[in-house]
Amino acid sequence: MSDSHNIIRTPLPRGRSLWSDGLRRLCRRKFAMVCFAVVLIYFSLAGFIYLAELFDWQVGPTLWNEEVGASYETPSSENLLGTDIFGQSVLRKTLYGAKVSITVALCASFISIAIGVPLGAIAGYFRGFIDEIIVWIYSTLSSVPYILLIMAFAVVLRDKTIFGYKLTGITAVYLAIGLTSWVGICRLIRGEVIKHKGRDYVLAAMSYGCSERRIIFKHLMPNVFHIIIIDFSLRFVAFIHAEVILSFLGLGEVDRPSWGAMINDARIELSRGVWWQMAAATVAIFLISLALNIFGDALRDSLDPKLRIQ
Amino acid sequence: MKHKEVRLLAIALVVTIFALGGCDSSPSDKDADEMVLRHALFTKLKGLDPGNMRDFYSVTVASQICETLYQYHFLKRPYEIIPLLAKEMPEISDDFLTYTIKIKKGVYFQDDKCFPGGRGRELKAEDFIFAIKRIADIKYLSQNWSMFDGKIVGLDEFREYTKSCEKPEDVDYSRKVEGLTAGDDYTLVIKLKKPWPQLVSTALADIATAPIAKEAVYSYGKDIVSHPVGTGPFMLKEWRRGSYVELVRNPKFRGEPYPSQGGPGDAEAGYLDDAGKIMPFADRVIWTIIEEYQPAWLLFLQGKIDNSPIPKDNYNEAITETRDLTPAMKQRNIRLKKFTDPSTFWLGFNMLDPVLGENKPLRRAISYAIDREKFIEIFFNGRHLVAHGFVAPLMDSYNPNIKEKGYARYDPVKARELLKEAEQIHGGKLPELKMAMPGTNSFNRQLGQFLKRYITAIGLDVEVEYMDWPTYMEKVNSRSVQMFSSGARASIPDAEDFMGMFYSKYWAPGSNRFNYRNPEFDKLYEKIEVMFDSPRRKELYRKMELIALEDCPAAFLNHRVVFALHHDWYKNYKPHAFAYGMSKYRRIDMKKRAEYKELLKKIK
Repeated sequence: MSDSHNIIRTPLPRGRSLWSDGLRRLCRRKFAMVCFAVVLIYFSLAGFIYLAELFDWQVGPTLWNEEVGASYETPSSENLLGTDIFGQSVLRKTLYGAKVSITVALCASFISIAIGVPLGAIAGYFRGFIDEIIVWIYSTLSSVPYILLIMAFAVVLRDKTIFGYKLTGITAVYLAIGLTSWVGICRLIRGEVIKHKGRDYVLAAMSYGCSERRIIFKHLMPNVFHIIIIDFSLRFVAFIHAEVILSFLGLGEVDRPSWGAMINDARIELSRGVWWQMAAATVAIFLISLALNIFGDALRDSLDPKLRIQ
Repeated sequence: MKHKEVRLLAIALVVTIFALGGCDSSPSDKDADEMVLRHALFTKLKGLDPGNMRDFYSVTVASQICETLYQYHFLKRPYEIIPLLAKEMPEISDDFLTYTIKIKKGVYFQDDKCFPGGRGRELKAEDFIFAIKRIADIKYLSQNWSMFDGKIVGLDEFREYTKSCEKPEDVDYSRKVEGLTAGDDYTLVIKLKKPWPQLVSTALADIATAPIAKEAVYSYGKDIVSHPVGTGPFMLKEWRRGSYVELVRNPKFRGEPYPSQGGPGDAEAGYLDDAGKIMPFADRVIWTIIEEYQPAWLLFLQGKIDNSPIPKDNYNEAITETRDLTPAMKQRNIRLKKFTDPSTFWLGFNMLDPVLGENKPLRRAISYAIDREKFIEIFFNGRHLVAHGFVAPLMDSYNPNIKEKGYARYDPVKARELLKEAEQIHGGKLPELKMAMPGTNSFNRQLGQFLKRYITAIGLDVEVEYMDWPTYMEKVNSRSVQMFSSGARASIPDAEDFMGMFYSKYWAPGSNRFNYRNPEFDKLYEKIEVMFDSPRRKELYRKMELIALEDCPAAFLNHRVVFALHHDWYKNYKPHAFAYGMSKYRRIDMKKRAEYKELLKKIK
């Protein structure tokens, strides 16, 4: 028997990718998972309403404009959250509002990522003149107060026809938010790309003669992608708030229920003791904001190597 | 270092508290000795130049500063025109074309630095001519020109002449206008091209013709909007744009006696308590600009403003089911005044629109689809009246049998039948209709939703377009809307204002925003325009109303009924539908006002 037969093969611990490690850490945080479930419920609700409208299913939230009782009925077993001025169910309106808010936040997030990430990556990778131009653009944009900028965009975009498509209500809102909110992610990606640019794997790719496009999108992007995910989760809440503010100011969705419009209506109804519309919209916003914030923080703690905690 | 920062913060805090204290518009100790009228204005003032204003709030303030030749009697009903700056009612020639007006002597403009030595001069007949020529001056771009268009001999030619002037300063106001002459310093002669029975009520009692000192016009230039120099009982002391207006008593005001005669019940209501006393009573008049009804309502309840309308969401707090004051309001010694406003509101149709204009059954279907009773119940707590026609009930020519015609009934079954007919005329399914709303606030949004809900219920598709006021006006004036929510308020107690809304020569941007044309209606309008008040004219008004209603250029919705509240210290508050310069009549019972603070403490 050779000695080789006596070698005890100790199994090496299996390596974990950034993502699987992050997921494992995230799953350990029970409260974050509860919040994730809440977020999922809101998303599922929005998705369900889309499907119901698409296939014309006559179910609760899509029947928000049905008269279910008298004007301003107090919450009861028949109408859990009472009725509004037209006798419409406040519960149905609140549920429908989730669709509007999620749609706006989702579309605005994708637009801001689509603008901010490539610009940040290009600025960080090429530096020099291109970097200066991009930094100048986003510095100028960020010097204007955020809400005023969104309002200005919303006012300008409203009722404009672009490529034969009329920008009404919700579309103008998410375009306005998306076009003004890419600065944050652009800055983050630029900084991260500058940091990664001098690392070995990038230098190796350069020495292999990879094209710049390949280095940016195939090598650098996957390594900074977790930043995008974290930023997405945290910004989502801000976008929901922006939609609520715009609707409150009468610049958002006007023909269908949205939480901002509900709060705007409820503002003057409070004096006649009609509190349920305000309460319903506020609780709906509170729940998703809290859930997204806690989940976003947990995601950042789990995915950002510097913030990892055991 | 830390202590220094704390000290600085403390100083900043104290300064802020004092600064905020200074911003408080509540009555101060200084007010305790002076009689101050306190009101809320619900929108910003545009300007105080009487020649170029039409909005209610600017007119309300400017009417306290500038005066007209004639005014409506404060107490008498039906409304009666009486002289103000004129010495007496005009002498009218037999052909009804020449008006000779004697002007009061001893009327002075307020003191202002625009006059030599800062002392206001006496009012002359030339000042009225100057005011009317200003309106005709195309460089001045007055909103009031339509009032005089084609009416006074030589005035249209003067307007043509101003077109040829390059700059506003080039216009020569001494140029003669045949129809506007001064017999002497105290006699004004107006010559008309055709009889104009409403000259006195429409033009000479309107703030537009109120004389403003020409010295001020030349001295202040464009700033005249914030430096009105008139002959009225008050003068402008301070105007913080967007927040505050304060007038003080004009020491040069000649003084006017409070009316000694009133209508039935006026003496019992206390409206004649001050008969014969010299007005104005108040030392100062203050308007705080509060664009939201809620804060104004709270200030009213705190006694910081004297009167208030009732916001719809506070209606139940103020009014019982029997339309009386609630015990809570009575406990505060608040008084209720109810009166019908000469106004009509509607959902208008653009008669030039290819879908709506050629399709009467479609317009009728929309009109029948709207439940006006429910509309009034939801939006106005059941206070307003259903508009069965467009002439407001306050008008002499209001047709009491108009309801029987059924133009405003809610009949969805009939509406659906008419819709089928409308589709046949259109040649297929009707396209989605667009409805323009004049605002994006809660009220307009809810109103848009309400109208859409009822119209879509009969099978029509409607898109509601919410737009800001300038965009809305631009679209209506350029005749590019399909349906639009709007309304009008008569400025004189004569239905001619309402009839003019359907005369084809007044298409948008004129008062006929429906762009309606009916040759028979036009013919009758041209007839009544030159007729003096008579049973025959009243009959023609009613006939014209039915002609227009039959064509259905709008779904008429409601007439406003105002429920206004005031504190019991606010005296001589008799609602008036057509007059604006009312502050001179108002008086404050200073003792009662002072006692209100104690009353509030007791209630709490």
